[in-house]
Amino acid sequence: MLILDDFADSVMVGRPATRIVSLNPVTTEILFAIGAGARVVGRTHFDLYPGAARVVADLGDGMKPNVEAVLGVHPDLVVLYASNVNRGAAERLRHAGIATIALRTDHISDFRRTVRFLARAVGDTSAGNLVADSVEQSLRAVRAMPRPATQPTVFWFIWETPLYTIGRGSYLSELLEIAGASNVFGDLAAASPQVTLEELVRRNPTFILTGPQNAARVRSGAPWKAVPAVRAGRILVVDTTLVGRPGPRLGEAARHLRALILGDTTR
Amino acid sequence: MPRSTWVTLLVALAGATLLGLALGPVALSPATVWDALFGRGDTNVVAIVQTLRMPRVALGLVIGAGLGMSGAALQGTLRNPLAEPYLLGVSGGAAVGAVVAVALHVNAPSVLPVAAFAGAALAVALVLLVARAAGARGDPRILLMAGVVVGAFANAVIMVLLTGAADDTVRGALWWMMGSLGDATWAGARWVALYTVAGGALLFALSREIELLALGEDPAAALGVDVERATQRAYLAASFLAAVTVAGAGLVGFVGLVVPAIVRGLGARSVRAVIAGSAFAGGTLVVVADIVARTARAPSELPLGAVTAIVGVPFFLSRLRRMR
Repeated sequence: MLILDDFADSVMVGRPATRIVSLNPVTTEILFAIGAGARVVGRTHFDLYPGAARVVADLGDGMKPNVEAVLGVHPDLVVLYASNVNRGAAERLRHAGIATIALRTDHISDFRRTVRFLARAVGDTSAGNLVADSVEQSLRAVRAMPRPATQPTVFWFIWETPLYTIGRGSYLSELLEIAGASNVFGDLAAASPQVTLEELVRRNPTFILTGPQNAARVRSGAPWKAVPAVRAGRILVVDTTLVGRPGPRLGEAARHLRALILGDTTR
Repeated sequence: MPRSTWVTLLVALAGATLLGLALGPVALSPATVWDALFGRGDTNVVAIVQTLRMPRVALGLVIGAGLGMSGAALQGTLRNPLAEPYLLGVSGGAAVGAVVAVALHVNAPSVLPVAAFAGAALAVALVLLVARAAGARGDPRILLMAGVVVGAFANAVIMVLLTGAADDTVRGALWWMMGSLGDATWAGARWVALYTVAGGALLFALSREIELLALGEDPAAALGVDVERATQRAYLAASFLAAVTVAGAGLVGFVGLVVPAIVRGLGARSVRAVIAGSAFAGGTLVVVADIVARTARAPSELPLGAVTAIVGVPFFLSRLRRMR
């Protein structure tokens, strides 16, 4: 079976893969979700979900992977994140005769495609369809929930010094829309644009949304006092382990955001 | 120094300060900024001007003053118009001291400058040692070369320290190595100002000695100066000021190079006048450079050190050409 991956390379995948190295937390999570978890023999340092993934060999941070370490676990399929820094590794792995696919997992729309690729590679397309359908269905359910009259705007605080947020190019921005809110920097095309506190004050979002550690910084940092939402205490602490990956838990993540921002739940 | 020079420096400083408050990624009219300075008008505008811009401009003024004075003193002491803390490895050493302190969770604004100074003093000792071993303590070119190499070594040490550090420390530290006033707070700026005033006073106390050193080693010795000791004292005092700026805003290069040259160009002759004038002109230059950093690619910010380097490197090269 011939697969065209996101490096626009065609990859021949013969028999269903039995020993898979997945160097992207999203694809690792998908492999477990479609019932191929037992075939995963290598993962990145950050692939900690589901719990069963933790026992798989840790092969580093997944970017510019150590090809020797990957070959050391004798995979018959390697799945990489389609970033330019991984191109060299993909070429070397293919040179060594190992089927290697590079997949982009940046947007919600990439999800079904990624699942389909992986399901075909492990030879279980029905499991893939099931997972993709159920995730899309739960996203639709959250999207169909009643919308507030005025949509709250959200600043998603990713990083300080310099200040980074999410832009239109991030699936997190899409998740916010699905959850009934809008990204206050949604006009910026980049996935993670750098912005300034001044511009944030001007845009005056309804909420500041961030992980537990960053929330503490926002509450204690003097410059943050300039932001009206901070002064008013409108800081939302998001479960970063849940929303951090555009994987099989996207629907759950959307429900979590909806509950956090609009204070209601689906059920 | 002619009075007109002082007037020019002060007018430039005042102008830069006003522009620093008036300009930013968010466009505000001068009238709204003026009102906001006194707490009048829209609360968000007041927040932008008072909480974000005012401490930032204040920090820029003291950082610039520190860098300017440090450069002026080093140029006098070493009799070299190309001397400045960044190129002499002093700032790099200070950065190592500060990164070590941050890694050990010692990052109070009162203590960070002291840790930076420890690193800077180490770098100074290393540079002087190398220069002496080369038998060329008096050769400014050897000093500069040793300084640049010690600075590169400091960078390497920081990279090694950062590989073991947590992700957020790494990214913060990398940004900080490029210099930025983005984290300015009143509390931080106050400490930097306090240390800068102390360091500046120290330099003024040493200014007669530096004046004599600037005449040359032999004339200074003939006039009763212990050249070795005096050089070390002035070098350390200037390094202290540089270390304070590194603790406050990271590595901002070339300000200490450009500013004393401008001040001399405006007619300042005595070391004392160059140091004092450089305090004003340094503040002006850093505030203006920070306006560029904030607005050139808004809403993103450029690193301040990149802006000063883009101005400073061509300046350095043109000076170097004229040196032979």
